[in-house]
Amino acid sequence: MTLLGADALLGPIREALRGVQADEADAHMHRRRAAISRYSHSSIHQNAVSDETHVRVRAIVGKAVGVVTTNSLAIADLRRALADAAALARASRADLAWPGVAEPAPIPSSAAFHEETARTDALAQARAIGAICAAVPKGMRAAGTSQIEVTEDAVATSRGVAAYAPATMAYLRALVQSESHGGSGYAEDLSMRADGLFPERVAARAAEKCALDRDRRQLPAGDYEAVFEELAVAEILRIVSITGLGAQSVQEGRSFMAGRIGEQVTGDAFTLLDDALDARTLGIPFDVEGTPKQKVLLVEKGVARGPVYDRTSAKAMGARSTGHAADPSRYTPGGHAGNLTMAGGPATREELIGAVGRGVLITRFHYTNTPDPRAATMTGTTRDGTFLIEDGKITAALANVRYTMSALDLFAGIELLGPQRLARDWWSSNGMGSVVCLAPPMKVRRATITGSSPL
Amino acid sequence: MRSMTITSSVSTDLVHLASSRGASYADARTVEREHEAVSVKDGAVESVTRTSDQGFGFRVVHKGAWGFAASDRTDEASLRALVDEAFRRAEASASVQRRGVKLAPIAPQRGEYRTSLERDPFSVPLAERIDHLRAVDAKSLGPNVKTRRSSVAAYRTRKRLVTSEGTDVSQEIVETGAGLSVLAVKAGRKPASRYDSRLVRQAGWEYVEHLDLVARAARYRDDAEATLDAPLATERPTTLVFAPEFLALLVHESCGHPTEADRLLEHEVAFAGTTFMWPESRGKLRYGSAHVSMTADATLPGGMGTFGWDDDGVPGMRTKLVDKGIFVGYLTSRETAGALGLPVAIGSARAEGWQHFPIVRMVNVSLDPGTVAYADLLRGVDSGLLLEAPASYSLDDKRQNFHFSTQSARVIRDGALEGYVRGVAFQSLTPDFWGRCDRVADDWELHGFLSCAKGEPLQLMRVGHGAAHARFRDVPIEVRE
Repeated sequence: MTLLGADALLGPIREALRGVQADEADAHMHRRRAAISRYSHSSIHQNAVSDETHVRVRAIVGKAVGVVTTNSLAIADLRRALADAAALARASRADLAWPGVAEPAPIPSSAAFHEETARTDALAQARAIGAICAAVPKGMRAAGTSQIEVTEDAVATSRGVAAYAPATMAYLRALVQSESHGGSGYAEDLSMRADGLFPERVAARAAEKCALDRDRRQLPAGDYEAVFEELAVAEILRIVSITGLGAQSVQEGRSFMAGRIGEQVTGDAFTLLDDALDARTLGIPFDVEGTPKQKVLLVEKGVARGPVYDRTSAKAMGARSTGHAADPSRYTPGGHAGNLTMAGGPATREELIGAVGRGVLITRFHYTNTPDPRAATMTGTTRDGTFLIEDGKITAALANVRYTMSALDLFAGIELLGPQRLARDWWSSNGMGSVVCLAPPMKVRRATITGSSPL
Repeated sequence: MRSMTITSSVSTDLVHLASSRGASYADARTVEREHEAVSVKDGAVESVTRTSDQGFGFRVVHKGAWGFAASDRTDEASLRALVDEAFRRAEASASVQRRGVKLAPIAPQRGEYRTSLERDPFSVPLAERIDHLRAVDAKSLGPNVKTRRSSVAAYRTRKRLVTSEGTDVSQEIVETGAGLSVLAVKAGRKPASRYDSRLVRQAGWEYVEHLDLVARAARYRDDAEATLDAPLATERPTTLVFAPEFLALLVHESCGHPTEADRLLEHEVAFAGTTFMWPESRGKLRYGSAHVSMTADATLPGGMGTFGWDDDGVPGMRTKLVDKGIFVGYLTSRETAGALGLPVAIGSARAEGWQHFPIVRMVNVSLDPGTVAYADLLRGVDSGLLLEAPASYSLDDKRQNFHFSTQSARVIRDGALEGYVRGVAFQSLTPDFWGRCDRVADDWELHGFLSCAKGEPLQLMRVGHGAAHARFRDVPIEVRE
């Protein structure tokens, strides 16, 4: 596909902003071209591409804010959107907490776009799926998704901010199921570049798990040693992010950090930061308000260091925005940490499994949620590769288990960490929220299993 | 909102073009959406937003495979390029395909559908909406209430579907809703929340007035304050009575989703999952007790899953999913009905917007009402809990193993409501849970959900769920601080 480019996105809105009848105004433009091929039974059943551009403008009159979103870049439509936003502001009430629109500030260059990936066509996506289906051993079938996304983001404010960044994402997922014994295995590759996806390897990893997943047993509820693979760790990190890493959640007393910044909140093997400037996390270098993104140390060796801020939460808490404002139609306001990096270690998969006396290996989770946000407690069932480990070896496949535990208690028990891998949790994998993690696999002392699914 | 440039004749020309290029089926869908929302936080206006979005989606079956392309650029060149792209994607699909698309038959449809409403929510002056929310906010104040939020929202969707089989239908759907939340915080206690984001109906502003948000805000405040200081519940099997608001979500998650036919075909296996309700168990599987019947109905007045036609052009209809505890039916699209050899689709193909491919979604899926009064149902409880609204919920990929916690739990003793307890959650297996239902009351009411998430890329769908108070015996509960 062809990028619209900075001029096409910023030119019309800057012209429209020049005539706005408001004290100040800003605009965020987001263009997204998503090409998705979905397959099951080794056959593509859905093949869709959509190309959309949305512009969200805010006009401020006497500290009252009006917000209008449109999906047109025509100058006349943008002028109308700004005028409507100003009219909404005039009819509204002053927001005394309004922090003002962003001032220009140096924005680091972006490295999240790969031109060849943007050019990937439907046949190339089908070839990747075909390669997975061909690589799956006889007696197994494959299902999953090939996804190529190209995005362009731009922000302009009446104070002179003009920021633009394109990005690409290539994502290949495979669930392999046995035709005979009901087992399943899952693997995926996620990258900024289509050439960072390896269909045969994805198929092999999923098929290996599927082959092991037979003659399942049920695991009684209880505390177990555990190995969490990268996707399972990403799921825990998502819960930590949405419940406790945004400044507003701290301000409102909902976060595990509330009243505990500077204190030890989990084990010293756990360090977490948000770093959208690391291109591996698929991040862009500014937020939807036009503030440059900063690398933010969230938890350092188990000590809470502080949340991420948008402009409103920063003003309320006497801080500066860290560049973590997110689209309010998709995220809770008050700062969103969506490009996480958890410190890893040198342990190999064999070493992680080898360190377990009796425990469980978890590949990934399904439909997790948080019954106790303040404690960052997560519950969810495992899927597509849950195994019993005894004396350092995988000895049996397990029916999916329900896991329920505070992330802080889980991370307090980290004993070994492996190298990081780029991963998205189950929820984020289809775009519901967007948390991208450089997540390591880990071996923990204790994971609480609260039940088992039927065989 | 800017005006749409695509006329019905353009859509007709494009589907004819697709047919002439060899497509065995084609459809063109134009969708325009508007949304206005006002929210108040802690007495001050938090946001006033207006959103509009319009575009065009084009779908073909070519060489036995689907191709879909969508864009918000609607000039003639862009639309023709979109048709080309849909064909390219269908051809790519056909290169990795073992079974061709077979659509269940439907006669060509013509007509219009409009939501019936008394007062257009978009016409309500902003000042009136803000004043209403400020009155609601004032009622939410409490000694330990730290954060109060309330909101009202209006939605309008206009869409037109033209197919190569002669269907040409137009719809205008208006929805109105409200949100309310109270967070109480006290040193040394777990924060207590009471909220609802499912107060939405296909209706006008009259629905907001019907909700009586002011009285509701006072109740939520009292619930949150009382839960803050409540003792922990006792972990044991007990009788649970669920309010309709809670059951609406249980029906959604544990009956609506597993009866979606695309799960049988493993279209969702890698993401949303499959089901435990397989075709061979249809008519035999005991899903719940004889008190449990569930119905899908896209014709319910006011339902968020109500429409004239789905996005396949199939008229809204009513279908039994569970009959006296036995699983009997599925939610189907033309494609899934065709693949399963079912004679008709029941009209469950729905797309969130123009940019989305229609997939199998719920309509209004409801627990059928019983015959006893709620007071009589309560009188049959010596010792138990009333769970009013869900908090956290989590389900496995077959919709069989679930975990729910609650925002508010009231003690029932000798048939009467007493004080509150906290920390209540339960996990169960779907047939076991519904098998414990021994009575459904007659106080059936309809709830609306704005954002049922499914599909890749994500689609958020509006669905409706009706339920009444219902009683479940000997449900093991877990209690957490």
